[in-house]
Amino acid sequence: MANKCDLLQGTLDMLVLRVLSRGELHGWGITQKLEQLSQKALQVDEGSLYPSLYRMEDKGWIKAEWKLTENNRRAKYYTLTRTGRKQLETEQAAWDRMTAIIAQVMQSA
Amino acid sequence: MLILDRLVHRLGRLFRRRRAEAEMAEEMRFHLEQRAADYAADGLGSDEARLAAQRRFGNLGSLQEQSREAWGWGAWERAWKDVLLAFRHLQRSPGFSLLAIVTLGLGIGANTAMFSVLNTVMLRPLPYANPAELDHLVRSTPQDPEGGVSPADFLAFQRDAAAGYGEVAAYVPADVSLSEPGEAAELVNAVRVSANLFTLLGIPPAQGRAFVSGDDQPGQDRVVVLSERTWKHRFGARPDIVGTLIRVDGIPHEIIGVLPGAFNDWRHLGWVDLFRPLGLSPEHAADRRSTQVRLVGRRAAGLSPAESAAAVARFGEHQAAEFTELHAHSSWRALPMEETVVSNNGSDTLMMLIGLSAFVLLIACSNLANLLLARTLGRAREFAVRSALGASRSQLLRPLLAESLLLSLAGGAFALILAAWATDWLSVRTTGDNGERLTFSLDPAVLGWAFGASLVTAVVFGLAPALFALRLDLNHAQKSGGRGTTGGRGHRHFRSLLIVGQFALALVLLSGAALFVRGLDHLNQRRSGWSSDQLVSGSLLLPAGTYADAESISAFQRRVLERLSVLPGVASASLASFLPYFNWPDTRRFLIAGQAPMESGKEPAAVVNGISPRYFETVGTRLIAGRDFSPQDSLDSPRVFIINETMAHALFGEANPIGRRLSEAGDHAPVWGEIVGVVGNVVSTLPDSTPVASQLYHPMAQQPRARFEIAVRAAVRSPEALISLVRSAMTELDPDLPVRRLKSADAIIHRANYQLGVLRDMLVSFALLGLGLASLGIYGVIARTTALRTEEFAIRLALGATGRDILRLVLRSGVTLALVGSTLGLVGALAVSRLLIAGFPGIPFQQAPVLLGATLVLFGIALFASWLPARRASRIHAVAALRGD
Repeated sequence: MANKCDLLQGTLDMLVLRVLSRGELHGWGITQKLEQLSQKALQVDEGSLYPSLYRMEDKGWIKAEWKLTENNRRAKYYTLTRTGRKQLETEQAAWDRMTAIIAQVMQSA
Repeated sequence: MLILDRLVHRLGRLFRRRRAEAEMAEEMRFHLEQRAADYAADGLGSDEARLAAQRRFGNLGSLQEQSREAWGWGAWERAWKDVLLAFRHLQRSPGFSLLAIVTLGLGIGANTAMFSVLNTVMLRPLPYANPAELDHLVRSTPQDPEGGVSPADFLAFQRDAAAGYGEVAAYVPADVSLSEPGEAAELVNAVRVSANLFTLLGIPPAQGRAFVSGDDQPGQDRVVVLSERTWKHRFGARPDIVGTLIRVDGIPHEIIGVLPGAFNDWRHLGWVDLFRPLGLSPEHAADRRSTQVRLVGRRAAGLSPAESAAAVARFGEHQAAEFTELHAHSSWRALPMEETVVSNNGSDTLMMLIGLSAFVLLIACSNLANLLLARTLGRAREFAVRSALGASRSQLLRPLLAESLLLSLAGGAFALILAAWATDWLSVRTTGDNGERLTFSLDPAVLGWAFGASLVTAVVFGLAPALFALRLDLNHAQKSGGRGTTGGRGHRHFRSLLIVGQFALALVLLSGAALFVRGLDHLNQRRSGWSSDQLVSGSLLLPAGTYADAESISAFQRRVLERLSVLPGVASASLASFLPYFNWPDTRRFLIAGQAPMESGKEPAAVVNGISPRYFETVGTRLIAGRDFSPQDSLDSPRVFIINETMAHALFGEANPIGRRLSEAGDHAPVWGEIVGVVGNVVSTLPDSTPVASQLYHPMAQQPRARFEIAVRAAVRSPEALISLVRSAMTELDPDLPVRRLKSADAIIHRANYQLGVLRDMLVSFALLGLGLASLGIYGVIARTTALRTEEFAIRLALGATGRDILRLVLRSGVTLALVGSTLGLVGALAVSRLLIAGFPGIPFQQAPVLLGATLVLFGIALFASWLPARRASRIHAVAALRGD
C-alpha cells in the first residue's frame, strides 16, 4: 500500500488517451489496462473514469461504439479520434516539459 | 466545424436523452459486474464482492451527475426548469398574468403598428433598379421649392446638361377618360412619360413592350402602357390584352404593354392607371412658360451626388442668365429620390407618431414594472427564506427574469395580432377614391421589431424591479412578517417615479391628441367667405378629341349651365376652374393701366380663377361692389375681371377699383381688361393654405379650359338628393364624359383632409390607450400600497383617527403624485404642441385651453383612481384588521 499514490489533478485524461492510443477499449478494459501498466500503484475511484470519458467524447477526442466482448456481452468501446491523437501529443509534450522542469528544479536547488 | 459537430452531438443526445441515460447505467453496471467477478475469483462471497466493487467504484449517483454535466445539458436544463417554474407561477395568478400580457400587448402593439407604417412608407426600398442613383430634378422658386419645369427646359437639359449629369426622363400627370361605346366613361389617373422613363427606372414591362423613341413623336403616340392594377380591375386580367385598342379621350389607342405590379409604388408616381408617351408637338416643345413637366434622372456611373447636383445647379444658372424674365428667381436642384419619397413634413409626422407610440409603450412598461415590483415585494418572505437556505442571488433572479420573459413574449404575440388588426384598419381608412390601398405586411423587419421590443421590455422592466426588490433587507422581511411589505423608502420612491412618469406621458399624449382633434375640427368647419351648405360639385375634363377648340368647349359649357339650372331643386348652377374648398394653383402677375410698369417679376401677383355667371351666388361669396359676370361676357366681348377685397386694397387703396384696367404681365403686349366688381375674400379648408391673398376672377367664357368644376346649390332638398339628378343630366349631355368626385361639398372637404383625419384617429387611440393604462397604473399602485398599509390604518383608527383622516391621507399621496406628474407632463405637452404647430402651420391649434382641459381631465382621473382605495381604507374595521393576520 505504501507505494500507491494519488493521481495528479488533470492527468487522468492524458493517461486514458495514452491507453486508447494502442487500440479501442471499453471502460472496464481501460481500468484494467491502467492497473496493469501502473502495476496497481495508482489510487483512484474507478468510477471517476466515466465523467472523464464523457467529457472527452463531448470534446471530440474519442468516439464510442457499442460492440460485443469476446464473452458476448454488450460493451461501449472507445477509440481515439484524430483530434484526440493531436491532443495526446500536446499533453504528452506539455507533461514532458513540466516533469523536466520540475526535475531540474529539484536537482539544482 | 468542430464546434458544429459538438453541437449536433449534444443536440442528438438531448433528444435521445433516455437512451443516453440507459447506456450510461449499462456501462457502469458492466464495470461493476466485471470488478465483482474479479473479487469473486479472488475468493470473496458474491454479496461481499459486489459491495467491494461498489466501494472501489465510488459514489455512483455523484459520478452519474458529473457525467451528465459532461454532456453539456446543465445550463439548458436549469433554464428550462426556470421557465417551467415561471410558467407555473404565472398560471397560479391568471389575473395578474392576463393584465400584464394585455398591458404589454397594447403597448408593444401600438408601437409595432407604427413601425410597420414607417417600414412601409420609408424603410422599404423603391421598386426601381439601383434607386440610390436616382434623383428628382426640380426647379425651385419662392412659391414652389420643388416645382416642375417647362417642356423646353426639359429638352434643353437633355441636350446640354445630360453629359455632365446622366440620363434624364420626363413625365407629366395628365388624367384621361376611358370610354367604350355603351359603357360609362371613367376618368383615370394617367401620366405622359418620355420614352426612356421605364428603361431609366429599370422596370421592363411584364407583358408587351415599353415605349421606344418613335412612340414619342406626335402622331405616332397613340399607344398606351397599363399598370397591373388597371389590367386586372378594368380589363379582368385578359391574357391577350397587348394589341387591344381602347378609346382614350375618345381616340383609339393601342395597348402595347402592361407594367409589373411592383411598379405601382405610390411613393413616387402615385397610383397611375395608364401611361402615354410624352409626344411633344412643336408648339409644346417650344413652351418655356408652363411648369408641369417633372424630371427624374439617373446619375451617370462614377459621378458623386455632389458632382451631379453641381451640374444641375450650373444648368439652372445658365437658364437664369439666358432667360432672365422667366428664370430670374429660380434655381435648379437635384434631390436624391430616396430622400424625397416622403416629404419632410410626412417624415416628421411619422417620427412624432413613433415617438408617441413609444410613450404608450413606456406607460405600459412602467405598469408592468409596477406589477412585477409589487408581486416581487409580496413574495419577499419567500425570497428571504430561500436566500437563508443558501439560494444565490442569481438563483433568486433567474425565475423572476424567466417570468418577465414569458410575460413579454406572450405580450409580444398578442401585440402582433393587435398590430395586424391596426394596420388593416389603417389600410382601409387610407383607401383612395380609385380603390388604391396601402398594404402593410408583417415582414421580418416588423416581426423583429416586435420581438426586440418584447425582449428589451422584459429585461429592462422585468429585471429592474427584481433587482430592486432584492436589495431589500431579506432578514428584515423575514422578521417583519405580515402579508408582504410596502418596501423601504427606496421602493416607494421608485414606484412614485413610475407613476409620475406615467402621468406625465399620459398628459403629453392626451394634450397632443386633444390639440389635434380641436384643430382639425376647426379646419373642417372653416368656410371663410363662402358656404358649403347644400352645395354639390364634380370635376370634368373634356377630352381634346371631342372638344378641340375654345368655341366647342364654351358651347358645351353653356349647355351644361342651361341644363343644370333647370334641374328641379337647383337654386343656382355654375362652373369654375377651381372651387373655394382648396387652394387655386394658378398664380399670375398683373400690370395696372395708368401706372408705370414694375421691374419684371416684381409685379403684383394674384391667384386666378375662371368662373361662370352666378358663381358667387352658388358658392355663397358676397359681391361687395360692381356687378357679377353675365352671359354677355364672352370670347368676343371686352375682357373683364372681378377682384377680391384684399386685391382691391393692395392695388388701389381706398380708391374705387371699378372701371380700372388690368392686364396679365408677360413677354407679350398687354391685353387690358376692366375690373367690373369686387367680392369678399375666400379662404380654403386646406391646412397648408399659404394663399396669395389677392384673388382675381375672369369669365370662364373668355379663357375656356377643358378641365373645370361644376357646382350646384340645392334650393330646399338635401344636397345628396341632387347628385343622381346631376349625374343623369350630364350623361344626357355627353354619355362619354365621366364626372369625377361628384359629391356634396362637405364630403369632398372631409375626403381631402382624410389623411389628417387618420392622423387624428391615431393620436386619439394613442391618447385613450395611454390614459387607460396610466389610470390603471395609478389605481393599481395606490390600491396595493393602501392594502398593505391596512395594519397602519387600523392602528391609526384605534388611536382615534377618523375615517375622513384616513381618506385624506390616501388621497394626499395620490394627488401629490398627480401634481408632480402633471407639472412634468405640461413641459412635454408644450414641446409636442410646438411640434404640431411647426408641422401643421395651417391648423389653428388652441394651446392654452386644451392643455388646461387635458390636465384637469387627467387630474380628475387620478383623484378618482385614488379615491376608490381611499374609501375602502377609511372603512377598515380597526379591531378586525388588527386581529386578522
